[in-house]
Amino acid sequence: MTSPNNALPQPPRWAVWLLRRLHPTETIEEVEGDLDELYMIWLQQAGKRQANRHYILSVLSVLPPFVKYRKQKKEFHSPYSSAPDMIRNYFIITIRTLTRNKLYTSLNVAGLAFGITCFLLIGLYLFDELTFDQQHTHASRIYRVVEHKNVKGEQTTIAAGSYKLAEETRKMIPEVENTTRFQRIGRANLIDPKNPVPFQETVTVADENFLQIFDFPLIAGDKQTALQAPNSIIINEDLAMRLFNQTQVLGKTLEFSFMEAPLKITGILKNHPSNSSFSFNSLVSEASFRNFDYFKQTMESDWSSTDFSVYFLLKPQSNPESVSTKITKLIHANLKPEAGTTLSYSLQPLTDLHLNSENIVDGARNTNVEAIVQGSMVYINIFSFIAFFVIIIAGINYMNLATARAANRSKEIGVRKSVGAARANLVYQFLFEALLVTSLAFVVAIIFVNLVLPSFNEFTNKQLSLGFGTSYQIWLMAIGVTIVIGLLSGSYPAFLLSGFRPTLLLKGMKINSGGSLNLRKSLVIFQFTIAIVLIIGTIVLYRQVQFMNTTDLGFNKDLLVVIDVNTGKARSSFEAIKEGMSKIPSVKNVSVTSRVPGEWKTLRTVKINTQGNRIEPKDAYLFGADKDFLQTFEVELIKGRNFNTPTDSTAVLLNETAAKLLNITEPSDQLVEIPAMSRGDGFQPLAIPFKARVIGIVKDFHFQSLKNKIEPLVLAYNNNPIHVIDYYTARIDANNIPATLEKLKAVMVEADKEEPFEYHFLDEQLALFYMEDYRRQTLLVWVALATIFIACLGLFGLATYSAEQRVKEIGIRKVLGATVFNLTSLLSKDFLKLVLIANAIAFPIAWWAINQWLEDYAYHIDLDWWIFALAGCLALLIAILTVSWQAIKAALANPVKSLRNE
Amino acid sequence: MKRTYLGEFEEMVLLMVAILDGEAYGVTVSQELEQQTGRQVTFGTVHNTLIRLEEKGFVKSQLGGATAERGGRRKRLFTLTPAGSRAIQDIQELRTQLWQLVPPHSIKLAGL
Repeated sequence: MTSPNNALPQPPRWAVWLLRRLHPTETIEEVEGDLDELYMIWLQQAGKRQANRHYILSVLSVLPPFVKYRKQKKEFHSPYSSAPDMIRNYFIITIRTLTRNKLYTSLNVAGLAFGITCFLLIGLYLFDELTFDQQHTHASRIYRVVEHKNVKGEQTTIAAGSYKLAEETRKMIPEVENTTRFQRIGRANLIDPKNPVPFQETVTVADENFLQIFDFPLIAGDKQTALQAPNSIIINEDLAMRLFNQTQVLGKTLEFSFMEAPLKITGILKNHPSNSSFSFNSLVSEASFRNFDYFKQTMESDWSSTDFSVYFLLKPQSNPESVSTKITKLIHANLKPEAGTTLSYSLQPLTDLHLNSENIVDGARNTNVEAIVQGSMVYINIFSFIAFFVIIIAGINYMNLATARAANRSKEIGVRKSVGAARANLVYQFLFEALLVTSLAFVVAIIFVNLVLPSFNEFTNKQLSLGFGTSYQIWLMAIGVTIVIGLLSGSYPAFLLSGFRPTLLLKGMKINSGGSLNLRKSLVIFQFTIAIVLIIGTIVLYRQVQFMNTTDLGFNKDLLVVIDVNTGKARSSFEAIKEGMSKIPSVKNVSVTSRVPGEWKTLRTVKINTQGNRIEPKDAYLFGADKDFLQTFEVELIKGRNFNTPTDSTAVLLNETAAKLLNITEPSDQLVEIPAMSRGDGFQPLAIPFKARVIGIVKDFHFQSLKNKIEPLVLAYNNNPIHVIDYYTARIDANNIPATLEKLKAVMVEADKEEPFEYHFLDEQLALFYMEDYRRQTLLVWVALATIFIACLGLFGLATYSAEQRVKEIGIRKVLGATVFNLTSLLSKDFLKLVLIANAIAFPIAWWAINQWLEDYAYHIDLDWWIFALAGCLALLIAILTVSWQAIKAALANPVKSLRNE
Repeated sequence: MKRTYLGEFEEMVLLMVAILDGEAYGVTVSQELEQQTGRQVTFGTVHNTLIRLEEKGFVKSQLGGATAERGGRRKRLFTLTPAGSRAIQDIQELRTQLWQLVPPHSIKLAGL
């Protein structure tokens, strides 16, 4: 350089400082170099002052906001995160991580598999429930007619209509494409003449449009014509197998006890799918009856009956409401309702039948035979909630465990970042890991599901399956949910862990996810709250079911055989049959009745009034019973006398409730009048009001389910005009029951060769009342177990995390002399607090929910405090077991290891 | 005609980079600009323009060796990319074309 010495002028120091401070780091080196060089040039050209001026100006021009930032140019290519090679790498790393931590892996997989299993099972169930009756091509356009009748303020809603309703609407209302009507005509013998085996079948009669509106697939026969000709019948595979032992029976004939001419089989129906509201086994063509005089006469003018189930097929885009109005108008034009009676009609969509038919009586006569299976929207909601809850919680638990484990993986992440992993790579890595674990869980779950499906089906009374035949929607849903859960549960650790600075991770910084700990604590509280509510629910339900099974019903339900009366002969010769039965040594008592206590069919109700009384008649139930009733059922007679002579045909016994209702304290042959009766479809006045004398009062007994309060009951004599006898009931010895049954059968067959011997044990029938409760109980037990399991997983994750976080503290405490017990209680204390909080939240919720539920039962257990205490303690115990395992492990660990790095 | 967008100053700087032929960096570009055009420019303008040209893909850069006069700091050397040389050639061609379209008397009338 030109200068003789080294004391060259330097640019102003503050300017250099400013430049270094504020100029972007990427370009500072080159810019500072350039400016130094320029400074020299300026110095030579114009002297120090000018050079300084130039320098300062130039510095300012390269400071923000004037300077342009050089965009980071990638010097090396980080591999494309989802390139096949990377995915292979993720796979290898994941497998290594998973196999290295077998406990965590199995916990994670088990937790998720469990969640997915529950989800799949419930999903299958819900899918089945929600797709009820959707197998028909026109399902969305099919409606059934519902009649709303209001007689003096008494509302009946019955899904039924008249002959003319189906006939005329088809012609009169333009929106109606087609209509069909069918009716169940009760149970009758269908017999293969070549091989007569007497058994009873419910027979349904349908018109020729039936198969045009509904898609009940035929495996043989023509659906266009199958129901057209008189004397034709179609039967399903099931019935064909029972009658003929084969399904190739097209063209064969069946004898039908209602008709003289034999019926020709014109079609074989496929058995109904499990999610169908229809359960008929056979359909007789309506044409078979149309030539009968009585049918012609009654049906031709029938606008008012509720004898038929009537279904409409509306044209596309029709409005069912306006059609309903038109139907109502049409009916009103043809039918003058009695004073005080209003009548209207509505159309209920076929797809609503299963879940939205509460308070609608399934009409068309014989309501007691094979009533349409009902679902419940409440259960659909509860189940959906559970499915959602279980799967979300399982995902969150995975997330918790993965984050807790992150501490162990901080070095791995640090190294990966230092050797050039981009954040995206790490995110992909973790997401991939989560997806792999969820997929693994998914596979395990499918195996689980197939293992438990048989019992699940038995329990839900369905035929669900998960396999290649399962609807693709279910698979799509299942796979979709698995992926979503995988991604969601992987996302938290992925984004959390990939964000840390590598230097900090390598220095051994413990990942502290701070605020999220509170979130996790709340989750554990939430999980345990649900678990405790469910435990309480389970205990209460169990006790309620026990209670219903053991409550004194007011009669003795054990060892009672109830035999159905199916034929006229068996009915008319009842005295001989009774006599025959009584002679069997193992039979103690025999009684004939029209209904039995604990009856499963519709009970007859009547209007009753004491004679001369001006007030409104009261509602009461009515049984016909003979003089042996009280003794056979062991019902106590409080006052008055039993039936005793044939002249007692107008005598009645009242139960205490009925006596109180009618203000009768002493039975003294008071006259009561029964002017009207009902079979469950609205009261009809009797042609001749039944006048009866009260001869006795019996102690109240539970003739209905314990869900109902004891209602007023009239016990009329067996030959009363209202309800003929329908059952024989025999009280038998506990010894050798099959032999006794054989003897009873022999008596029945002797009276009538065609009589199929149908019997029930009354206690078993009674148990059916509570079948649904029993099911709920089983369900609740499983759901409770599931929730507890999942809650424990959550707690376990949290405990692991916490033990990891405090490993040094524990080391120091141990070195300073803390015992294993000290440390365990130190670590467990926090979690037990969480469970206690959960208890505090759960108790009022459970109390409220269970009280709501118990209100369904007229007779129920009390909600004792100890149930709550038991559930709370149980939850605590489970929590202690879960946490202490981790805590003890941490406490037993060698402190040298944990403190080595300090 | 598809044309690359290039500002007037950018064009100048790009031409300087071409002239300097491998020796272009902040200092030389500034000095050359001053000498050839007589323009006084602040260093920041040159620096920013070079960065912008690089982003547009007309020049590429690499860090050159350190020299003592820069206190051991490396300089960033700029060279034309094919796109860059194409761009100045395009501009040159266009100008020539346009010049040929100008009737001689119109320039004379303008007093040139």
